[in-house]
Amino acid sequence: MSAASDQQVVAWAKQGHDAAFRELVRRYERPVFSLLYRMVRDRALAEDLAQETFIKVLNGIKSYRPEFKFSSWIFKIANNAAIDHLRRKSLDTLSLDGAPSAETPEQMRATTLQLGDRAESPLAEVESRELGTAIERAIARLRPEYRSCILLRHVEGYSYEEIADTLELPLGTVKTYIHRARNELRGYLEDRRD
Amino acid sequence: MTDTSMHLTTDEIELWAQGLLPAARAMHLADCSLCRVEADRERKVMLELVQLPHFAPNAGFADRVMAQVKVTAPADWKT
Repeated sequence: MSAASDQQVVAWAKQGHDAAFRELVRRYERPVFSLLYRMVRDRALAEDLAQETFIKVLNGIKSYRPEFKFSSWIFKIANNAAIDHLRRKSLDTLSLDGAPSAETPEQMRATTLQLGDRAESPLAEVESRELGTAIERAIARLRPEYRSCILLRHVEGYSYEEIADTLELPLGTVKTYIHRARNELRGYLEDRRD
Repeated sequence: MTDTSMHLTTDEIELWAQGLLPAARAMHLADCSLCRVEADRERKVMLELVQLPHFAPNAGFADRVMAQVKVTAPADWKT
């Protein structure tokens, strides 16, 4: 089965072959998880979002239209999951003094960001090792829209047209995002070298 | 005829970094230090990006996914 095309494996999955579902997970777990991890920079959360993505895709496999690339479909759902999460998070952003919605001193205390907690956990150490390089930190500083475009272009090797289809953006917008993203990355990396 | 005096566009620099820029346009780099510097900077970033690794989720990820996927066995498998 590993030599079959995505379209063939999807066709088998549509027929209800368990092994075909597993093959799709095997093929895409790393690329999908990597995209999500670089988008949200939290291993456990990225894994939850990746799981959510696969469950949605595999349970909806019968609605998949073969004229589209399967990889575009799964990346679109993964990217939407990440963007939705980041939007929710920006609404709930905690300041060091507590959430903006906190009205009483108790609520302020309960929502105050606890610096140091995560930094000492073994998981945070793994994250710091994996995402701590200069280029990873530079990617993290990009706007989420730029980040997904640049990751699909240079990590996944997608063409501009495929990215436009996947993210449902005009081709010109994708080009602009990628050029700006590379420009910002260069700036961040060169600042570090100076 | 291609004008070799015209500066490279961002798209052309990307093609050059991938080794896909037509030779006639690539010749411009030999004469233009502005474009050469710009192209080298772009290539460095692209190289860093393409070398980024894929990360793996924790072991058992596929089993956790499959536990929540409804697989309807083919009709000819049913007794």
